[in-house]
Amino acid sequence: MRWCLALLLFCFLAAVNALSSSGSRLLVVLDDSTEKSLYSTLWSDLEGRGYDLAFESPKSDSLSLFQHGERAYDHLLILPPKSKGLGPNLTPKNILDFLDKDGNIILALSGRASTSSAVSSLLLEVDIHLANDRSAVVVDHFNYDTVSAAEKHDVLLLNRPGPLRSDIKAFFDGEGVIALPRVAPQTLGNTSPLVSPILRAPETAYAYNPKEEMPSADDIEATGSQLSIVSAMQSRSSARFTILGSVEALEDQWFSATVKTVGGKKTPTANREFVKQLTAWTFKETGVLKVNNIEHHLATDGEIAAEDLNPKIYRIKNETFFSIEMSEYDYDKWVPFEVPAGDELQLEFTMLSPFHRLNLQPTGRTETGVIYSTQFVTPDQHGIFSFRVNYKRPFLTNVEEKHEVTVRHFAHDEYPRSWAISGGWVWIAGLWSVIAGFLAFVVVWLYSAPVADKNKKTQ
Amino acid sequence: MHLWQATVPFCLLASAALPAAAASAWGFTDATVAVQPKGAGINGGVKEELSSSKPLANPVSFAGADTLRVTLTTQEGSSAKRPHQAFLLLKDNQSGLDISYPFTVKENGKSRVELTQKELPLQFLTLPGPVDARILIGGFGNSEAYDHSVFKLSIDRDPNIPIPTTEAPRYGKLPEIHHIFNNDPSNPPIVLTLAFVGAVIAALPVLAGLWLFLGANVNHLPTALKSAPLPHAVFLASLAAFEGIFFLYYTSWNLFQILPAAAAVGAVAFVSGSRALGEVQGRRFAGLR
Repeated sequence: MRWCLALLLFCFLAAVNALSSSGSRLLVVLDDSTEKSLYSTLWSDLEGRGYDLAFESPKSDSLSLFQHGERAYDHLLILPPKSKGLGPNLTPKNILDFLDKDGNIILALSGRASTSSAVSSLLLEVDIHLANDRSAVVVDHFNYDTVSAAEKHDVLLLNRPGPLRSDIKAFFDGEGVIALPRVAPQTLGNTSPLVSPILRAPETAYAYNPKEEMPSADDIEATGSQLSIVSAMQSRSSARFTILGSVEALEDQWFSATVKTVGGKKTPTANREFVKQLTAWTFKETGVLKVNNIEHHLATDGEIAAEDLNPKIYRIKNETFFSIEMSEYDYDKWVPFEVPAGDELQLEFTMLSPFHRLNLQPTGRTETGVIYSTQFVTPDQHGIFSFRVNYKRPFLTNVEEKHEVTVRHFAHDEYPRSWAISGGWVWIAGLWSVIAGFLAFVVVWLYSAPVADKNKKTQ
Repeated sequence: MHLWQATVPFCLLASAALPAAAASAWGFTDATVAVQPKGAGINGGVKEELSSSKPLANPVSFAGADTLRVTLTTQEGSSAKRPHQAFLLLKDNQSGLDISYPFTVKENGKSRVELTQKELPLQFLTLPGPVDARILIGGFGNSEAYDHSVFKLSIDRDPNIPIPTTEAPRYGKLPEIHHIFNNDPSNPPIVLTLAFVGAVIAALPVLAGLWLFLGANVNHLPTALKSAPLPHAVFLASLAAFEGIFFLYYTSWNLFQILPAAAAVGAVAFVSGSRALGEVQGRRFAGLR
């Protein structure tokens, strides 16, 4: 009986372990069940990673993202509907509310038909823009699949993307080419640090409306790497919203297709691996950070006693030690978080504005975390300060830690004594010479006999 | 109809047999690049022929108010034809920045593009070196698209005109800040301090000398000690003890330690002092003072 229970518990734990860090309920919004069979490999891959898939049609009346005011699903995958718009249950407001409640969303677009204005206005809310006529397709006469798109050049073959910047970890890299048929391009706003491109079009690509015969020079809005094929928005609460320009890239057909670049060899596509990385990132299986522990105390040589840990109060000019332990979620487990080369985890010691901003150095490791620490002298300014670690990076969940401490002045008995200050010696000598003079005066006054010639004067 | 059906396999066969001949390539001819300074006539400024196989040796200088004009005739194979894509692509190989300017293409392939520095993104104005100017010509079907560097464009600008900042908010590491502490309080040179300490201490011998000069003495000490030895000794000792208590207060004691001690010594000083001063009064009555 007992081993039976243990086995059940083990199975339960194993099932829990193979999940995303933020839940397993995944709602797939797609038109009808015939379309569902096109993506069977994707569904089985997701189920294999522990997701509970629910399928709904956008027209369905029972479709609701919320139940009793709470999210009914943890993640949402929206495939482009054939009809106009996403229906009354998936208005842009509902979808943004879902995002606000920390739900993660993948929105697939297709260049086959024009995108609905509801989707366009939803994307505008997160500073991602579609082409003006919402029916543009990316073509590239240099990087297309010569097997399936020899004439129309609208199946892009791209290498998997490297890191976005040199100081950012690459979550989507790897070997192989991705086939992206009929991509609906996006352009990203420049003013928001929350949006970032995952996969950009090559510099020779451009977007045009296939309904028009020849694009005139004025029709071309964006070209080259300004066009984003897969883009991501991570909100301040770390909810993730990924826009995939080509829904067909998810189909079974392209998971196992063989493609050939211009002047290249026939190769199988890497769509399956890329889609795994993309869904894993969006549904928070990768790039999730956790702070395990934060410690600060006065810098000492030996061990620190428990009561001296994380004190509420420091004095100005105290030598202080700060450490933070961080983990990263990697598909099914927490692993130590290594800061990417070229990037730094930074500690700020702030009162309104930072007085110190210091790079934390890795000084130790535990089983699931890396300990980053630094040592510094508290500023010569008293007040309410806070230890702040504000680590926000593209593709990583936001870490914002704030620990408030008081920094007090020197107490009256902590200053150096007056005799230790050489400039004060003159005054100390003056004081004691007055005391010596007073004692001498008392003796002279008590025991001095009158001088002889004074008597003469009085007589 | 039958003829058409018969020619299709034949064409396929031919294209399989002669792949190089079947796939024609896009290209251009009669290409020129001209930089026309502001106010210069239609033929003013620099004008150079472009070759589709070899880039120009020297970079083309493109200053603040100039207009850059590239004209060419696009060709598929050797016949002039309008392509689907005809772009002038500017690319900086160091930073990876790229931007394309589409040519205005006529039906007969005659194409032109005009560009001023105002149309360039701000990021291009701050690049250290010249950028690569490439021409892209491509179309649907199996004609090979054209992509070659044709010249280098050196974007010159007047350094006195400031460029608006292009910093967009991006998450990343920030510069380190180290708090700048106030200087520790400092002391005057020790020699100066010691000189003044010497002057202050020297005041005591000067005082003693003055008193001696005026005739101060302790001649009544034996008389006083003979008539009231205990009060005098205790009174002087209690005065010295007061100063000792103050010394301890200065170095280590606190107020609650000195108050009882001072009370005890004060009581002793009061009792012994009234006796000792009585003796002094006696000497005055005796006419000795």
